[in-house]
Amino acid sequence: MSSLEELKLELKNLGREYAKIKTLPEAERKSFGEKINSRKAAILAAIREQEELAESADIKPIDLTAPFGENAKPFKTASGTKHPLATELAHVADIYRQMGFSVIEARQLDDEFHMFDSLNFPKEHPARDGYDTFRTSEGFIPPAHTSTMQYRALTRFRDHLDKYGQIAVVVPGRVFRNEDVDATHEHTFYQCEGVFVSKDATLGQMLATWKNFFETYYGQKLNIKTQPGFFPFTEPSLEFQIEKPKALGGKGDGWLEMGGCGMIHPNVLKTAGIDPNIYKGFAWGGGIDRLVMLKYGINDVRYFESGKLEFLKEF
Amino acid sequence: MLISLNELKRLVKIQISDDELFKLIGSRLVEIESVEDLAPKYKKIYVVKVKSAEPIEGTHLHLCQIDAGKELNAEVDPEHDGYIQVVCGAPNVKKGMLAAWIAPGAIVPSTFNTDNPFEITARPLRGFESYGMLAAADELALGEDHEGIISLDPETAKPGDLLADILDLNDKIIEVENKSLTHRPDCFGIWGFAREVAGILGQMFRTPGMPSADANVKDGIISIESAEICPCYTCAIIDLDNPLEKNPYFDKNAAFLAKAGMHPISKIVDVTNHYMLLTGQPLHAFDYDKFIAVGGTKEPKINVRLARNDEKIVLLDGKEISLTPSDILICSNDTPVALAGAMGGESTKIDESTRRVILESATFSLYNLRKTQMAHGIFSEAITRFTKGQPIVNCERVMLAAAQEIAIIAGASKVNFVARKYMVPLPLKKEVIALSVSDINNLLGSDYSPELIVRTLENTGFEIKSTGEKLTVAAPLWRTDIHIKEDIAEEVGRMLGFDNLPLTFPQRPFVCPEIDPMFEFKNQLRTILSERLGANELLTYSFVSKGLQEKVNEDIEDSYKIVNSISPELECFRQSIVPSLLDKLRANEKSGYKDFTLYEINQVSKKSWGLTDENVPVVQTELGLTLFGDYFLAKHILNELANTLALKLDVKPIDNSNILEPLHAGAIYLEGARIGEFGEIKSSVLKRFKLTPPISSVRINLEPCLFAKKSQKAAIKLSKFPFVSRDLTFRVKTETNYIDIESGIKSVLGQIQNIIYVLEPISIFRKPDGDEKNISFHLEIANETKTLDSHEISDIIDKITNNLKTLGAEVV
Repeated sequence: MSSLEELKLELKNLGREYAKIKTLPEAERKSFGEKINSRKAAILAAIREQEELAESADIKPIDLTAPFGENAKPFKTASGTKHPLATELAHVADIYRQMGFSVIEARQLDDEFHMFDSLNFPKEHPARDGYDTFRTSEGFIPPAHTSTMQYRALTRFRDHLDKYGQIAVVVPGRVFRNEDVDATHEHTFYQCEGVFVSKDATLGQMLATWKNFFETYYGQKLNIKTQPGFFPFTEPSLEFQIEKPKALGGKGDGWLEMGGCGMIHPNVLKTAGIDPNIYKGFAWGGGIDRLVMLKYGINDVRYFESGKLEFLKEF
Repeated sequence: MLISLNELKRLVKIQISDDELFKLIGSRLVEIESVEDLAPKYKKIYVVKVKSAEPIEGTHLHLCQIDAGKELNAEVDPEHDGYIQVVCGAPNVKKGMLAAWIAPGAIVPSTFNTDNPFEITARPLRGFESYGMLAAADELALGEDHEGIISLDPETAKPGDLLADILDLNDKIIEVENKSLTHRPDCFGIWGFAREVAGILGQMFRTPGMPSADANVKDGIISIESAEICPCYTCAIIDLDNPLEKNPYFDKNAAFLAKAGMHPISKIVDVTNHYMLLTGQPLHAFDYDKFIAVGGTKEPKINVRLARNDEKIVLLDGKEISLTPSDILICSNDTPVALAGAMGGESTKIDESTRRVILESATFSLYNLRKTQMAHGIFSEAITRFTKGQPIVNCERVMLAAAQEIAIIAGASKVNFVARKYMVPLPLKKEVIALSVSDINNLLGSDYSPELIVRTLENTGFEIKSTGEKLTVAAPLWRTDIHIKEDIAEEVGRMLGFDNLPLTFPQRPFVCPEIDPMFEFKNQLRTILSERLGANELLTYSFVSKGLQEKVNEDIEDSYKIVNSISPELECFRQSIVPSLLDKLRANEKSGYKDFTLYEINQVSKKSWGLTDENVPVVQTELGLTLFGDYFLAKHILNELANTLALKLDVKPIDNSNILEPLHAGAIYLEGARIGEFGEIKSSVLKRFKLTPPISSVRINLEPCLFAKKSQKAAIKLSKFPFVSRDLTFRVKTETNYIDIESGIKSVLGQIQNIIYVLEPISIFRKPDGDEKNISFHLEIANETKTLDSHEISDIIDKITNNLKTLGAEVV
């Protein structure tokens, strides 16, 4: 191979060849020109190759496996973190929104009417005991379920029945229960409630809707199964389970309890000013904390409100 | 509740595997918490006859020779005259009795399925070889009795029999979740449960017949305060010809009770419990003679009424309780003798001396009994059933059946007399619901035929008149939960399996769903704070302690107090977020973290904010943020937030604050209204958290931000002519406010035509102890229409300099 100097010299000489074109007969000029051009291109390519080789020779090898360079400081990444529960709540709401549900958030101080009366709990019925509710000295209630928002969801979007033929709302929120705290029980936790009303809502639609949510959430087809349950505000009432998803190590055998659901009790619709002879609805609700625990393999629910950076830095 | 599979199999023809049955019960009736297979527990436990029992001197033990049948005798202990030698510590072991013997190699049933299963072996005891063990009820996991070994009935058992065969222990015990049967009192008896199982399997259920006492009815015995507290009270008076002691033998009935988690008490009580477990109707027996003595009457005067203030009663367990006005009492004349539905009283307790009994069967208000349960902490099998609302229909007939049975075992020829009082019209009326087949199918999303629907409902006792599409359904009297069409649809869907419903989706209109603006805004804030400003999001409890509120000088009286809080740490609904964050700031600092920022967005409330239109407390969604740093770092965060969110926030001085140092803090205003404050936290406050200054916080009430007019975020105009840059430094008195200098520059630049510029502060420098400071800016400036020449630039700078001179600033 020619040295760089030789190539450059040749290029210079080639420049002179161009002058010869004028001396040639008309018919030969074209082919002569093409020959010189192609020669020139070849020389230029060779020069470039030589130059690049020379450049590489100056570069010193580095340790590609090291996290940072020699004599350099470790890089600092931004230290900010988002709470996994808040993130998951937003993610869950986002999926529902894409399915067509409006989102309203639950309030954290409520009253007997929203928590129980509007949901067809008879006054002083033992079913109210099942919710281990806290009460303030004024009789207000830090709600024990996001269903406390059902009446508000139904009344606020009641005009959608005329406008769009349906009400479709989900309600994420923080809820409270007077329970002993351990690795799987917290007195403060998060739920997401769903409410749908139309003239032709069915229990089959209820199951299909929640199934579709979980299939989107876990990114796979899932089997579901149910158990009869009892909630005064739905009739029929069911407990809803999904097959343990592959992402959580499921092999098609285990089941996960995801919450309660059912057809909205006609009294609940009536209380909210919706005629149960014309409209039917379904509602469902489940915990968010456990979704997050399963997703990240968190084994203690108390971490969530611990405020510990050791935990939060993981997110 | 514990349900015996054998009992179910006696009542319903079950042709599927046990596991399939459990799955069906789980999906169509009630959640099964666990199933315990008893068979392995009782594998090598036999009936034996005690041939001899000689005391071992100086001990409480007996050396026994037992007969377990020829084969076992020879196999286990070939050395002792054809019998097996066992050392037994029970005081009641005696020659001739039949006992339960745990053979060597077997596990003691009470330790089965525990972490330390105890295997019985052949071993020497006090110098005597002992093979196996004679067992008490508790060791057999058949109750808690440890008084002595159980004795078996020679009528039904013989040496060598397997105990499991004699006591019906080759069984599986299903534990179900009571909570999901809150509305189903009928399922709290085995018969009612079995009826459901039959229905699930598509079979017609026939309720077993019961004996019935044939006795005279006496009037004027019972009075009831109101139908609300007690719709129905019935009783039987039975003379006992022979004294009733405890059944000497542990028999199938005892095992039946044990399998349901109860235990034998006395012959009478065992009968009442037996019927309660079968039918769900609790019964109670009083000693007749004690009853009339307490009331001072010749004949019983049974009075059902609410408790009065200051009344007390001593219950069967010997405890005296103070009654509350919602407690229902059974009184003899006017003296309380039982806390209705919960527990009998000490004064009328039956015992060996009892010669006459009053057998009670009644229904009480579940609401009152619920309060009784809560007030006195009584959680008996009876009250568990009563609080589901026992149906009136069972009341009298279960009483008559139990009375008849007691009369027979007591040797009485017949029941003396019965009494009853109904506070509801008779005959009892069935709930009748008219609906159509399509009502059912439209609710479920199913396509069931009228025939299938009718058959399904009839299997569990519903009576139906149908004319094709139209159905008239009469609910059985024990179904207190059936009132509306939806209840009937649920029955059909449940019996045929909700899991078999076809899944379809609702039609959806092409309308963009609404989203809670606060929910969206919070997520936007979280992204800015965490991803851009490096802050750490926390979630802390909404409930805080008075102590925490005191630390930050909050008015404790302004907090909503939780009356049933878990602990004093969680007593008040919080008024603000920052105090919780200060707590966590310290905790994380202790764990070795430095220079971090914590924030939380959550709801807070104060009583003084009043109530909403809905008469619920006003809550505010608040951003709280704390950081290690001074006023300026907090201000930087605030500015970044304002810029990113395009909010026009103003900062004004604050006079006082419960938490912030007023000289190093500012109030945050939006459109003229105060929405929060930020700045350095008072060192007195920090001291209480064991934190050292400077630590700052930001608090913003987010609601007003949602509706505020956003500032226009027009991108800087681009000029095709070059920008010129200049650094400017002005010396001013220390007291001069930075903002005046910045405005002084901007006001000049604003007056020049066609100018576009970027002005950024680059330093504020003050010599230690100096009374002047240097403020430096970097200015980038261009003209939109032409290239600025040096002359024009100098001219602009001069104008700025002259303007600032009026403020006492000198160009450096």
